[in-house]
Amino acid sequence: MSVDRAIVRRGITDALPLFVPAVPFALVIGLAIVESGIDPFSGWSGSWLIFAGAAQLTLVSLLGSGAAVIAAITAALVVNARHLMYSAAMAPPFQRQPAWFRWLAPYALIDQMFALTIIEADSEPETFRTYYLAAGATFWILWQLTTALGLALGPVVPQEWNLEFAVPLLFMGLLVLGIDKWTKAVAALAGAGVTYVFAGLPSRTGLLVGALAGIAVGFALERMRR
Amino acid sequence: MIVFLATVVVGMGTYLSRSIFILALARRKIPDPVLVALQFVAPAVLGALIVALLIDEDGSVAIGIPEVAALGVGAGVAYRTRNHILTLVAGMGVFWVVRALV
Repeated sequence: MSVDRAIVRRGITDALPLFVPAVPFALVIGLAIVESGIDPFSGWSGSWLIFAGAAQLTLVSLLGSGAAVIAAITAALVVNARHLMYSAAMAPPFQRQPAWFRWLAPYALIDQMFALTIIEADSEPETFRTYYLAAGATFWILWQLTTALGLALGPVVPQEWNLEFAVPLLFMGLLVLGIDKWTKAVAALAGAGVTYVFAGLPSRTGLLVGALAGIAVGFALERMRR
Repeated sequence: MIVFLATVVVGMGTYLSRSIFILALARRKIPDPVLVALQFVAPAVLGALIVALLIDEDGSVAIGIPEVAALGVGAGVAYRTRNHILTLVAGMGVFWVVRALV
């Protein structure tokens, strides 16, 4: 079996520009690990054990800020619930793939991979597989390197810059980019408001109450609109 | 050690959410109400997270003028440019300037 080099090259060159928006995330994750005081290897291991920036950043920053472990895990997993939609949408093209690839590929099904490969769903199976592997490997290698770079830069950055504020700022950017209708904006405000009200709950568990309230509000509004 | 274990758990959960339909439920569809709820997960959790990360250890909320100004400008820049790097630069810039002024 020979690998089509043109497809490999296309997978790599398509992945590179999509990685650029992920660079600040990777660096901030590295910085947040240093800031949180958790051991650097455990913090960085999320880069390959989880391989999902928002979830890793949620876990690291919550654990570092004294949240209960179970609350941090739950929040990180809830952040990742969107992957269920990717998984369902990608199921049809994967039914024509060998078992080893069906087991391996979901590990790399990050936001960018979904955006890139869902439009290749009708390609010939071997082309799809080669493209997916090339793009996935590119994202994976760059992610490991840039989170490690953030980790290395962490101790160099002066404390008084308060770079930990970059974490809520990045989440704000993600939030705004994801809002395409007013019901989502209301869900976000409800999530923020309820978390604020329950700020006194121990170990930041108010976050979970806020998240659930936001989802419930969005769900109810959507139902009323129909 | 607990951090590493927590990371393993989140890693397994993440893999499960990415693989479940590809590996096991290929012929199933996500029920409609679940789809409706899923689209609100990201905004609700992110809104909650932003506030949660600004809560002090003792449970009081540490949101002052610099934080509000920076988050506001950050949101505006994100909306206009859809660029995370500009959002970060503008937001941190406002945060530092306002903090120096107040």
